[in-house]
Amino acid sequence: MAEPEVHDKLLPLDEAVRTLIPDGCRLRSCGIGLRKPMALTYELIRQRKRDLTFILSGWTEDADMLIGAGCLRDLEGSYLGLEAFGLAHAYRRAVEKGIPHPIRIEEYSNFGMTMRFMAASMGLPFMPIRSELGSDLLRVESFRHPKAHVMDDPFGSGAKVALLPACPADVAVLHAQRCDSDGNTQVWGQLGDDLWGTMAGKRILVCVEEVVDSKVVRADPNRTIVPAFRVDAIVHVPWGAHPYQVQGYYDLDREFRKMYAAESRTLEGFERFLKEWVFQVGSHAGYLKKLGPVRLKRLKAKRMLSGQVNYGY
Amino acid sequence: MAIEFKPTELMAICAAREIRDGEVAFIGTGLPMLGGMLAKATHAPRAILIFESGAVDSRPTRTPLSIGDACLVPGAAMLCGLAEVFGLFLQPGHVDVGFIGGAQIDRFGNLNTTVIGDYRAPKVRLPGSGGGNDIGSLAKRTVVMMKQDARKFVPQVDYVTTPGYLDGPGGRERVGLPRGGPAVVITDKGVYRFDAYTKEMYCASYHPGLSADEIRKNASWPIRIAADVRETKPPTVQELRVLREACDPEGIFLGGAD
Repeated sequence: MAEPEVHDKLLPLDEAVRTLIPDGCRLRSCGIGLRKPMALTYELIRQRKRDLTFILSGWTEDADMLIGAGCLRDLEGSYLGLEAFGLAHAYRRAVEKGIPHPIRIEEYSNFGMTMRFMAASMGLPFMPIRSELGSDLLRVESFRHPKAHVMDDPFGSGAKVALLPACPADVAVLHAQRCDSDGNTQVWGQLGDDLWGTMAGKRILVCVEEVVDSKVVRADPNRTIVPAFRVDAIVHVPWGAHPYQVQGYYDLDREFRKMYAAESRTLEGFERFLKEWVFQVGSHAGYLKKLGPVRLKRLKAKRMLSGQVNYGY
Repeated sequence: MAIEFKPTELMAICAAREIRDGEVAFIGTGLPMLGGMLAKATHAPRAILIFESGAVDSRPTRTPLSIGDACLVPGAAMLCGLAEVFGLFLQPGHVDVGFIGGAQIDRFGNLNTTVIGDYRAPKVRLPGSGGGNDIGSLAKRTVVMMKQDARKFVPQVDYVTTPGYLDGPGGRERVGLPRGGPAVVITDKGVYRFDAYTKEMYCASYHPGLSADEIRKNASWPIRIAADVRETKPPTVQELRVLREACDPEGIFLGGAD
């Protein structure tokens, strides 16, 4: 007997953002250098979300845009820059000049943030690490008191560790390659901090390039990083990570990232970018239309299929 | 006739020379990527390049734009995530050499990539640690790559993002760091190493065309110059050719756009 199809988790982008991400919530984003939930980021800006706490190990344009648009109050993370494209200027304006309003940031290292997500994922209050010792990351606090605690190994090895508090999220967003209609979600390529970060979400929202038949997922279950029973909502949003890469789907749009890096240097340029690429396009469909089929075709991934394994026994 | 080259090219080449064949190298964005690729293509074919987003033993065929670039995936030996790369390889001491960048450094190799000025009211807000602190804390040795002037080589950094030797000999041990520390600093002016006893940075070589005086002018403490200081070995024809043709043909990191 065929299983009934379950579609009730599948939501349009605007509805998912409206119902799952209220003002003031602790929102975990995803992706280090790729697979960033950009369509969702633009939608947060369009819905003029306020006072979000944004948590992730490594941010780039996603956090910079949300800061510039006035959506964030607090950040907990490790890195905020545009990678090869330079410094994050909306972030700089907020920290250096309080434009559009001051923000607070609690900083850890990348490994530290990942271990904080791991603690939250595992239902633990904290995790120990051996980096950050002796640095100002442990000494300088912003809004978490204390942000860390250094202790000697209670079992007598003589090692020192820094204990870092768990970093749970109200909602974790994961941009993934595909899921089935139940929400069994598969990711391939580098995982960054996405496994532990996503599991740190009390609720999980997945944005996917494709919704596939359950048979496809179940034929290769090693690639699943979130099982359906942890997923609260699915948004089907092809090209939803543009201008970033999604392995097997599309490459990064270098020209777009360069353009943002240049525009965002000034407040006027940043506002022009938002107007043109976020507000005037109105929706993800409008954004894709503005990018146009020629540009998208150029970014489409080449075919480099994996080998196959035998799951037989 | 002398070969023409850019300071960024010499920096990438100096970085490559720091990787020994067979070593596990932890690579950050930018010139270190070119250094790693160049080392593998020349004297260190068995070096293992690992990236914090989760790619292990990558063999990229184009210039990666970030540590998460999808071009690090095809042909890699293993893909995992940040917790695994940091937790399973770096923290227990399996990484021989780590590469990090910096905006400010002091004479004990402490590094700042967080703020210029007061933390609460900074003049320039920089990106922050990323994986820099973890790499500099836990790799067996660290290579620092940065641009140099007297405002970047300072007596005391505005924020210790990544500890070097902290306050000198025994500094790392006192705070509980298990190993490591900066072995070399590569700038657009010269190559610096650390005294085994005092843990103080000294100039080991200045780049072709510069002098010890130039080095002193570009540090705001009386920087030590090695007794046997010499000119940095210029790029070989082969190093330059591989770097330009195979590692960064578009000049993304070499181009001098920075």
